[in-house]
Amino acid sequence: MSEQDFTVAVFQNEYLPEGGQDVNAIVTVTSPDSGMTAGPGSADAAEVIIVDCSGSMGTPRAKIAQARAATAAAIDVIRDGVAFAVIAGTHVAVGAYPHGGTLVAASPQTRDEAKRAVAGLQPGGGTAIGQWLAMARELFLRSPAAIRHAILLTDGKDEHETPADLTAEIAACEGLFSCDCRGVGTDWVVSELRRVSTGLLGTVDIVPDPAGLTADFGAMMEKAMGKQVADVRLRVWTPQQATLKFVKQVAPAVDDLTARRTQTGPQAGDYPTGAWGAAESRDYHICVRVPAVGVGQEMLAARVSLVVGDMIAGQGLIRAIWTDDEGLSTRINSEVAHYTGQAELAQAIQDGLEARKRGDEDTATSKLGRAVALAQESGNEGTAKLLAKVVDVVDAATGTVRLKKSVDDADEMALDTRSTVTVRTKK
Amino acid sequence: MATCPDGHESTATDFCDICGMRIEGAASNAAASAPAAPAHPGQAAAAASGPARETCPNCGVERTGQFCERCGLDFSSGTVPPSGPPVATSLSPDQAAEEPQSSSAASGPSWSAIATADRDYFDQVVANGGPDAATIEFPDYCPERRFRLSGPQMRIGRRSASRGIEPEIDLTGPPADTGVSHLHAVLTAEPDGTWALVDPGSANGTQLNGADIAAGVKVPLHDGDRISLGGWTVLTIHAS
Repeated sequence: MSEQDFTVAVFQNEYLPEGGQDVNAIVTVTSPDSGMTAGPGSADAAEVIIVDCSGSMGTPRAKIAQARAATAAAIDVIRDGVAFAVIAGTHVAVGAYPHGGTLVAASPQTRDEAKRAVAGLQPGGGTAIGQWLAMARELFLRSPAAIRHAILLTDGKDEHETPADLTAEIAACEGLFSCDCRGVGTDWVVSELRRVSTGLLGTVDIVPDPAGLTADFGAMMEKAMGKQVADVRLRVWTPQQATLKFVKQVAPAVDDLTARRTQTGPQAGDYPTGAWGAAESRDYHICVRVPAVGVGQEMLAARVSLVVGDMIAGQGLIRAIWTDDEGLSTRINSEVAHYTGQAELAQAIQDGLEARKRGDEDTATSKLGRAVALAQESGNEGTAKLLAKVVDVVDAATGTVRLKKSVDDADEMALDTRSTVTVRTKK
Repeated sequence: MATCPDGHESTATDFCDICGMRIEGAASNAAASAPAAPAHPGQAAAAASGPARETCPNCGVERTGQFCERCGLDFSSGTVPPSGPPVATSLSPDQAAEEPQSSSAASGPSWSAIATADRDYFDQVVANGGPDAATIEFPDYCPERRFRLSGPQMRIGRRSASRGIEPEIDLTGPPADTGVSHLHAVLTAEPDGTWALVDPGSANGTQLNGADIAAGVKVPLHDGDRISLGGWTVLTIHAS
């Protein structure tokens, strides 16, 4: 182990009963403090800001004004030397800055030019998010930068292309760059932006009031500039005849990576985790089904490695030991139980809101009630507060709730977008 | 290059590259981090016993005591026990001490029940649309729980502090199957050493091998029987 390695901690109950097969573990991965593998200089990063300039951005007038101010604030945070561009998005994508369809290196002069160009952005036209991503992809393809990141801002529904167009474009962008998405106002569709952000390993959030954009964009860009190592993958080896049931990121937010596997050997596969900043920590829940062997025997259920480029930069072991001591095998690991609950919480919220939209009030009440109970039990106060804006809580412990008669659209969308945000156990 | 207990060649020297089994002699993290009572004291002792190693002439496993952990060969006489399965399962001292207290005759089979989450049963419950069907979710993850049957009876249910119910087969979870009553059913030890199932009148009923059983009627159990209850819980009976 060197100082530049990721640390990997495994939390599990390794004891299985006779004949037991399912091994669950929470794997906490933490990146090094600093001096990461040949710490990339500014020249190794590229940044694209995509601003929705469709007609609806002009109503109210303040929306486009705030979007311009927010973009300018984000531009101010881009470090010298980082290659960047600003795209104005409508039913087509146009390079707002620079005009030549390339990226330029950030400097005091180019940042000023970019801000002047952004100040002249005018609303008009439709919305085709796939077109915007396609242009960002073209720009990134011409850049040698290792860390590639985009910010996408929209206020409306993706209506000037088919859902299949967007899906195809997201697939084309996967692995090429990461993208944080922000929806301003309440006329955009959470599920659309979530498809972009999960596919491109970024975040999605609502900015209900355009006045909040500037601070949010600045913070998002600060975070992007803090990324030190790109394209980190989680490699999971499992024994012959074992099945990997799922690999999920569970903190800071739930993101199921199971379907994102790339086979790297007969018994190993890689899962993408994107770019990491210094001393960043994330948790993963891994579930493996292994063939049962005799009591007293020990098996490696999974070897979990962090892969940067071709280098292994950290490793953890998930083990299985068969025992006839029920006191050991029936124990439930507190981390595993906690994150199982957090994943269920996110699902209950999404199912509950979905049922509410369909008008199925019974299901909505029971799902959101279950969510209230889970949020209370696990101490997820952020989610509990968001839930309380959508339901009247009669008894949080048992999950007894009533649907509110009228709910602010922004509150419902905030609950939906932030449903996957988890809290950690107190270790 | 190391060789694992199953004979695979492995580049990794801690666990086999192919089957994942611990390679004998590799320093066991388990021994260092395991709770006070290791599941396999023999192996832990072996890891600490230093360089002098002896392997079983019969099966090649490293010697950890007078008897081979794998095939049961007696190192002092060089003979393999004539009866029983070829690969003997080692019993922990705790378990050996428990056996005589079991309600079944010392020579009779030992009974156990394994609780699992069963997708097929869950799908059937949802399809039948019971009163709570919409609120029950199939758990993402559910550890198998094994209960050894002993004493005059084993109650099946979920712990309730307020009602003073502490079932021997406690299905409280997590994950919780909320369709299981606090006192859902009871397994009773029969004079002939077998076990029987009674549903005292649970809210949602109990199935044995897919068929509902009548409340309050004792039904004899056999090896392999499946008791389904709640939203997704299945208890499989083992008599061996």
